[in-house]
Amino acid sequence: MRNSKDSMKYACSPKFQPLRLLTLAAAMMFSVAHADDYTDVSQLMRAGKLPEALSKADQYLTSKPKDPQMRFLKGVIQRDAGKTTDAIGTFTRLTEDYPELPEPYNNLAVLYAGQSQFDKARAALEMAIRTNPSYATAHENLGDVYAKLASQAYNKALQLDATNPAVAPKLALIRELFNPTSPKGQKSGAPTHSTPTPAAVAVKAPPPLPNPASAKAPVTAPTTQTAPATPTAAVTAEAPAPVTPPTTSASTSGNSTKEAEAAVRSWASAWATKDVKTYLAAYGRDFAPPGSMKRSAWENERRERISNKSKISLKLENLNITVNGSNATAKFRQDYKADGIAVSSKKTLNLVKNGDRWLIVKEFTGS
Amino acid sequence: MGPPYLVTVVVALSLIGANPVHAAANKHVPKRELPRQEAPLIRDSDGVAEARLIEIYKLIGKAQNREALTKATQLVEDLPNFQLAQLVYGDLLAAHVRPVKAIGDVPDAMAQAAGSNLTELREESKRRVNALLEPPPPGAIPSQFLALSQRSRHAIAVDASKSRLYLFENTPTGLKLVSDYYISVGKAGTSKTLEGDQRTPLGVYYITSNLDRKSLKDFYGSGALPINYPNMLDAKRGKTGSGIWLHGTPPSQFSRPPLATDGCVVLANPDLAHLVRTVEVRTTPVVIATQLHWVAPHSVRTESKPFEDALHAWRNAKTSGDLKQILSFYTPDFSSNGKTLAQWTPTLKTELATVQGRTIQLKDVSMLRWTDTSDTMVVTFGEVADGIRTGLTKRQYWMRQNSQWKIFFEGVL
Repeated sequence: MRNSKDSMKYACSPKFQPLRLLTLAAAMMFSVAHADDYTDVSQLMRAGKLPEALSKADQYLTSKPKDPQMRFLKGVIQRDAGKTTDAIGTFTRLTEDYPELPEPYNNLAVLYAGQSQFDKARAALEMAIRTNPSYATAHENLGDVYAKLASQAYNKALQLDATNPAVAPKLALIRELFNPTSPKGQKSGAPTHSTPTPAAVAVKAPPPLPNPASAKAPVTAPTTQTAPATPTAAVTAEAPAPVTPPTTSASTSGNSTKEAEAAVRSWASAWATKDVKTYLAAYGRDFAPPGSMKRSAWENERRERISNKSKISLKLENLNITVNGSNATAKFRQDYKADGIAVSSKKTLNLVKNGDRWLIVKEFTGS
Repeated sequence: MGPPYLVTVVVALSLIGANPVHAAANKHVPKRELPRQEAPLIRDSDGVAEARLIEIYKLIGKAQNREALTKATQLVEDLPNFQLAQLVYGDLLAAHVRPVKAIGDVPDAMAQAAGSNLTELREESKRRVNALLEPPPPGAIPSQFLALSQRSRHAIAVDASKSRLYLFENTPTGLKLVSDYYISVGKAGTSKTLEGDQRTPLGVYYITSNLDRKSLKDFYGSGALPINYPNMLDAKRGKTGSGIWLHGTPPSQFSRPPLATDGCVVLANPDLAHLVRTVEVRTTPVVIATQLHWVAPHSVRTESKPFEDALHAWRNAKTSGDLKQILSFYTPDFSSNGKTLAQWTPTLKTELATVQGRTIQLKDVSMLRWTDTSDTMVVTFGEVADGIRTGLTKRQYWMRQNSQWKIFFEGVL
């Protein structure tokens, strides 16, 4: 960690990738200790106390000026506060310092699109996808930006007065960078990530490009575990011994696995058939929407995203379900195709049994 | 991401792929394909915009939509007023979110609001592509150009049905096609007859002047080259109207639809600018035809033999100084700048007096044939009597009456 700065310099050289991954993972571990700071800022933000959130973020950044996660939060706060130019600056510098992260590009695109600068939005999203080809949010946003640009080009081609100007598409903003501690402290997220040691990550993931998918894994694991405990718990998490016992060997009740699998398949088929009601009903009351989004806002967004597609095809591959009591984790590769968009990504669903139904309480893309 | 693409274009362009770019029209292609760093100069050159558009079509034809989109993005960035490029760019973007079935696959509401604009852009696209798919046969020339003296350094021919203008260089070994450009003609098509009929005239013309672009409204773009409509045949037929020019496009439009003008021939500004820089006033013929008929240069000479015989017979009569015999070459309705044959005869007599029986030589003879309901010939030459240092440059309009060629106009240039 001492030489993390030096290692960062070599980030672009593939030779140093494992090293950089390690450093990144180490940084994640480090950030765990400051999870409270992130949580505080997030909560202030959610409560609409933007000036307080901003000053707390700035305060944190005086001691850790490079910290990507807090800078990211700061960008979101600036955006929420309507300080678009500042937010663009924040995210732009993040893309310069961490060109391998797709999220800042995505948010930059959202800001540009808000200013009707769709060419810039497109360029930013294409960068996001270049850094992480399976980044679903960026793909969806890019689809909307392409549609908007096409409409603009058509207007110019046909010499139509843009009588309906700047109906900016609603692009999804990423609200938090590393998917840190869920405020509700979903314990169920933990068992799936049973290798929290940084060393293990470095060994485990040398080939793929360093994207938040691989970065996400180590951070979610320790934070969810430490959430209820004291900060020192983070240190214990570093211990090589898996905190949670191998879940597979646990209560692999065949029935439960089948039930959970049926729930996942029903969720996928509802999505593919655009049965929004059934699709949303697959999510439990405790489901934490991504970022600090409100449940209703998230539902509206999902409803819009699903129903505005003319056709959706969804295939689940390598579906692997592990059950631990009333918790289940489904991991699979999701091949999503809708109209012209095609995204293949890894997905993890955490489910909890509620009565006789398995309901989704957490959804991760890319990990 | 299986990218859907523009079916119509693809069909057309797979043909282009099979027909590797025609030699004649691509003479100047190497110039266009210089590296991008020299782009500012190159991008403004004539024909470049279309070459870039066609390159995009070819990429679409090869299902390389990503590359096509990159090129289209650059093209509309450089030429935001190139509506056809915007349309294709829109299609390439839309192809990312939905299947695109035809060029200009715009949403219905937009297509309705656009009125005729969409069909016009599709027609422009079709004509640009067809011009490449059906290039003139190598070495062939339009049948009108029977003979062109070295006084004419260049010649222009317009094929209205193809929306295409062909620029020739008149080399010592004959006419060479050097470039060709997309053009627009009158809203009501061709065959201009009356003032205000929004038609482009058909016939053999000459460029009469080069109007300073600074004196022109923006509407005319990079310049204007007026032609001599109505010519003597048009005047004989009682055609009216004036101010038929080759000119550029307004700032809002890189190019205009195939049928768009009030009778002028309109080119994109870089193309018109190239014409202005290249061609000469007064000596550059402009043939405008519904459809050009391309023939081998040697075949036009054999076809022109009967006419050349008539022209030489006229010269011999003039050498002989026999007024009655000379007058037999002129039609009863002959006119020379408003004078009837009877009024003009004194001029002829004066000429004969000067010649005094010397042999007359015809130098630098150009013969341009125009055939519609009549068979006509526009002849330009220097008339010089032996032993006299200078002569007159004359232009005559002849018309074939049964098998006899007769002069219905004669004037000194």
